[in-house]
Amino acid sequence: MGSNTTTEVLTRNAILKQFKKKTPMQEIMIRFVRNRMAVVGIIIFAVILFCAIFADFICDYDTMVVKLNVAERLQGPSAAHWLGTDKSGRDVFARVIHGARTSLWIGFVATALSLLIGGILGAIAGFFGKWIDELIMRVMDVMLCLPEMLLAMAIVAAMGANVVNMILAIGISRVPRFARIVRSSVLTVRGMEYVEAARAIGARNGTIIARHVLLNCLGPIIVQVTLIFASAILAISSLSFLGLGIQPPAPEWGNMLSEARENMRDFPHLVLAPGMAIFLSIFSLNLLGDGLRDALDPKLKQ
Amino acid sequence: MADEILQIRDLQIEFVSEGEVTKAVNGVDLTIAEGKTLGLVGETGAGKTTTALSVLNLVPKPQGKILSGEVILDGVNVLEQSEHEMEKIRGNTVSMIFQDPMSALNPVMSVGEQIAEVVKIHEKVDEKAAMERAREMLETVGIPGERAVEYPHQFSGGMKQRVLIAIALACSPKVLLADEPTTALDVTIQAQVLELMKELKRKFNMAMLMITHDFGIVAEVCDEVSVMYAGKIVEHGTLEDVFDHKCHPYTEGLFNSLPDIDNRKSELKPIKGQMPDPTNLPTGCPFHPRCDYCTERCSQEEPPKVQINDTHYVRCWLYENTKESQLKG
Amino acid sequence: MIKYILKRLLALIPVILGVIFIIQFILYISPNDPAVVILGVDYTPEGAAQVRESLGLNDPFIVQFARYVLDLLRGDFGNSYVTGEPVAVQLAARFPNTLILVVVSMTLCTILSLPIGIQSAVKPNSWFSNITAALGMVGIALPTFWLGLMLILLFAVHLEWLPATGSVSLTGMILPAITLSASFMAGTMRTTRSSMLDCLNQDYIRTAKAKGVSHHDVIDKHALKNALLPIITVVGVNVGTQMGGSVLTETVFSYPGLGIMLTNGIKQTDTPTILGCLVVMAICIGICNLLVDIIFAFVDPRIKSQYSKRG
Repeated sequence: MGSNTTTEVLTRNAILKQFKKKTPMQEIMIRFVRNRMAVVGIIIFAVILFCAIFADFICDYDTMVVKLNVAERLQGPSAAHWLGTDKSGRDVFARVIHGARTSLWIGFVATALSLLIGGILGAIAGFFGKWIDELIMRVMDVMLCLPEMLLAMAIVAAMGANVVNMILAIGISRVPRFARIVRSSVLTVRGMEYVEAARAIGARNGTIIARHVLLNCLGPIIVQVTLIFASAILAISSLSFLGLGIQPPAPEWGNMLSEARENMRDFPHLVLAPGMAIFLSIFSLNLLGDGLRDALDPKLKQ
Repeated sequence: MADEILQIRDLQIEFVSEGEVTKAVNGVDLTIAEGKTLGLVGETGAGKTTTALSVLNLVPKPQGKILSGEVILDGVNVLEQSEHEMEKIRGNTVSMIFQDPMSALNPVMSVGEQIAEVVKIHEKVDEKAAMERAREMLETVGIPGERAVEYPHQFSGGMKQRVLIAIALACSPKVLLADEPTTALDVTIQAQVLELMKELKRKFNMAMLMITHDFGIVAEVCDEVSVMYAGKIVEHGTLEDVFDHKCHPYTEGLFNSLPDIDNRKSELKPIKGQMPDPTNLPTGCPFHPRCDYCTERCSQEEPPKVQINDTHYVRCWLYENTKESQLKG
Repeated sequence: MIKYILKRLLALIPVILGVIFIIQFILYISPNDPAVVILGVDYTPEGAAQVRESLGLNDPFIVQFARYVLDLLRGDFGNSYVTGEPVAVQLAARFPNTLILVVVSMTLCTILSLPIGIQSAVKPNSWFSNITAALGMVGIALPTFWLGLMLILLFAVHLEWLPATGSVSLTGMILPAITLSASFMAGTMRTTRSSMLDCLNQDYIRTAKAKGVSHHDVIDKHALKNALLPIITVVGVNVGTQMGGSVLTETVFSYPGLGIMLTNGIKQTDTPTILGCLVVMAICIGICNLLVDIIFAFVDPRIKSQYSKRG
């Protein structure tokens, strides 16, 4: 608790305000929009998302992104090639744009996968308790002892480097985070008095808990999804950079960086563009996540 | 009265947060004579704690701003003191006991260290002597001295409050500010702690500002009472004045909210409505929207201070034309 | 106290076994055939069957797991499928390099980020606090390997101050250590800041101020000691994540550590090497967690008293 007087007065004001005007949803929106950094984050991310969705309209995949063009290799930025060309004569700008599609798509599927598995495991653990809970959470603890990067590498090592395995690797390595959130939210909700109350008036256990759990953990999960999405994008490019993910010529920021290393000395723009793209994606998602956290739970804000 | 140890005059404090101004204290006047106890009564959020913090010059910054007024403690206006000078005054001339003993002790320091610390700051003694004093103080508040090496989590709530009292009294302050010292405790423990405070107050001959919302505590330990509402003292007087001749409708409301043990059939009459939003106080008398005797004038003009007798005053339009003599007669 | 440490040490064993189990299980269900890796061009079905039999790959998983753990206790990590040499020899050569890199980077990260975090919490609305907060946001989002490449471009290629390849030497260590510590620095700084801010808002800080404790002592003696607990946790977790991060850093700087060994092992599907690297890293992380627990016990009286009473 903060210095008692201030917090007391301020929280009371916040409560009084809510009575006066808006729904919680509007409140969250207002708090979010007021946070300038969060708005910057959402704008950057919207641009990246736009590039990913309309990549084919911006530049043609076959002719610009993957086609070898030795005649035009290693050119600096020009009107024809805004960010120059790489060692195979492929347009760097086009590859960065299409790289957004790769990263966002894979990152999204991997995040969804870990949310699905983690959510189910967490719900089972929290709901059934006893030895099932003990077993699931011990496994999660052990998984947390291994850095996500190493776990993902182990999975790729076993299964081989391709898109599906990378999704599995990134998705599975992030399961514990979601499992923990959902489990703790189930446990919190189970112990709450309104659940007891609902049970007392004869409502069915499962339905009550499911509804309240969902409402209860929605906030933290939304926040965690944005942060894990960011970490998934980083993992995709990290694995690809190591040669364990997307292989060239398919456009991916990490493998572009890996390829550019040879010619880095003379053509620094080759490492600048894809790196900037990774940075901006993660940066914007982190801002978004922080903004959402503050907006969803104003008490946490410092 | 020459023996006033603490005098607060026209104190105004506001908090600014996210562009909103909260008027916490709006022109408070208080006086405590040496060795006397003043009760400060009111609902949560009336500005009682903020008033007490101003005596330590610890109103949270930068949100909190003292707009005007003076706080004269033992002849010194604390609001004009430098931070360095204040450090010498805090814990020495004036101490404070806070509301929640559970969180008011540092969890990673032993209670002995925490008591010894205040001794070391204000008196030129070495580590050993300070620890010895800490043990003595623990004994004084009824805790065995050998428990000085233990940590706060090893103490119960009532015990922690005793430790906090020991910290507050370690340097024999002239004024003790007690901010709802028993609110967070069990009823049986409350009585013990109150008894202890009464006893120690006599022993150390301190003046005390007792902040509470419980008239029972006021009746037990206080000499005078001030009733505070929305950052203002609305009624002030001796125990007798306020308990037997209460004037302000708010004071009356507070008393009516208490159950009456002699007449259990009588209905409780809670004060209607809510505390006003301190960012947007009503015009005129801040209590008028909740007042049963509200008149046109109450909603427009602020009521003046009306002196009922030498020791008793009230801020209410109802008593505007009341002369001291009329009341007495 | 000793009892506490022993208890933690015992709790570490199942965790490490669990990690080995999971990694080995993942590699066990792999469709890769070790015989193909070992025999290479000499592959014949008969030869392959013989290889599998000699490595015990036909045994049930649980037998293989038990055998691996028992071998491990003797310091035997098995032989590389590719070179045929004992993995332990390679590990012994590589592991110290990674350890040094991680220790240097941890130290760098801690001595820089703690004071900055504390300072920005003490004055939360100052320009210093705002700038460091912004740098922190940027630092967290910087991909390690890209930062490494940019540092090479600037300091090795452009300014020619430092070598582009990393090595276990004063100059060869600087760029890899900065690269590895950068994102953790941002994270540690943010944790320090928020943890300090949280502690500075606690009631006991107000009690301390009301006692007349000076501003300096309020921060050093009262707030920092409490704020240390979450900071220690984060630093401890960082060690683990840095182990993971070192893979990328080592690749960027061609630094001869475990990371490159692991990456090469994966590319060559050399299971014993992969397993060996991951197991060593996992043990390291486990020991770090243990150290954090022990430090915790010394800082937090709530744990200390629990054990000191009963001996």
